[in-house]
Amino acid sequence: MKKELRISDIPKHNVHRVPEGYFDRLPMRIMERTAAREHIASTPWQARLWRPVRYAMAPLLLLLLFAGTFLFSMQQAPQQEKLTVATLSDQEIMNYLNAYAQMETADLEEYLAADQELAADFLNVSPTAAEEELLYYKLDDLDY
Amino acid sequence: MEDKELLEKFSQPESRNLAFNQLVRKYQQKVYWHIRKMVIDHDDADDLTQEVFIKIWKNLENFRKDAQLYTWIYRIATNECLSFLSSKKRKFFLPIHDITSELTEKLVSSPDIAGDEVQLKLQKAILRLPDKQRLVFNMKYFDELKYEEMSEILGTSVGALKASYHIAAKKIEEYLQQD
Repeated sequence: MKKELRISDIPKHNVHRVPEGYFDRLPMRIMERTAAREHIASTPWQARLWRPVRYAMAPLLLLLLFAGTFLFSMQQAPQQEKLTVATLSDQEIMNYLNAYAQMETADLEEYLAADQELAADFLNVSPTAAEEELLYYKLDDLDY
Repeated sequence: MEDKELLEKFSQPESRNLAFNQLVRKYQQKVYWHIRKMVIDHDDADDLTQEVFIKIWKNLENFRKDAQLYTWIYRIATNECLSFLSSKKRKFFLPIHDITSELTEKLVSSPDIAGDEVQLKLQKAILRLPDKQRLVFNMKYFDELKYEEMSEILGTSVGALKASYHIAAKKIEEYLQQD
């Protein structure tokens, strides 16, 4: 018959092991940590505050540099434009506007409704020539 | 050096570090083995032992001189162990059985474990107990503390501790009977 195993039959034995020299090194490791804490505690608050600020300084300076450059270029741009336009003659400005002026359909309708003569003038034709063109192409008969 | 003398020296700034170093040397093994038997893994036990001594360092000035220093240290170590185990369960949403399996696995596979088959079976049986019952069993069986000392450390009545130990021993013997 198999004998029943009881706790009292088992010799008390520590089955766990530690690395060699562990307990010789442990006090020093703990003392290092307490010393580090004491150092932090004894450091004046201004110095503790300064540390993160010091780390943030480089990106902060870079950001200020970018912002400064951007603002400076924004201030310079309109003045340059004014100067450039001022050097142009009236004829050059007129030529530019003639070449690039665009008229929306809505603008054209507004002009036509306001003044027929102005529309003819705007199209660079005389009112008589415009009438002749309309008759020739029979545009008046077309329904849009 | 006696605890009273250690505390006296700790209270003086010039001998504070020396006194604490001697305190660590005096209690490091008791604290470490108390923790190690609960968490099994050496690295976990190492971390927790250091944390316990850091807490002792921070709070030793407020320690009541009429209380026993070693029961106070034991209490800190016990609280650290129980917090560690419960946070581990919370972290991984592990029920009691799974944490037992994890600790048993560590016990079986760790190179830092030595012992014959019967010893390992006893360790496995202990790991099957709930944390607090395991704590009581370890303190009584391995550390051979008196119930009165355990009562002071754990804040539980002597009667409740006796009952807890006997239930734990019975469960372990039942497990040991199994093949």
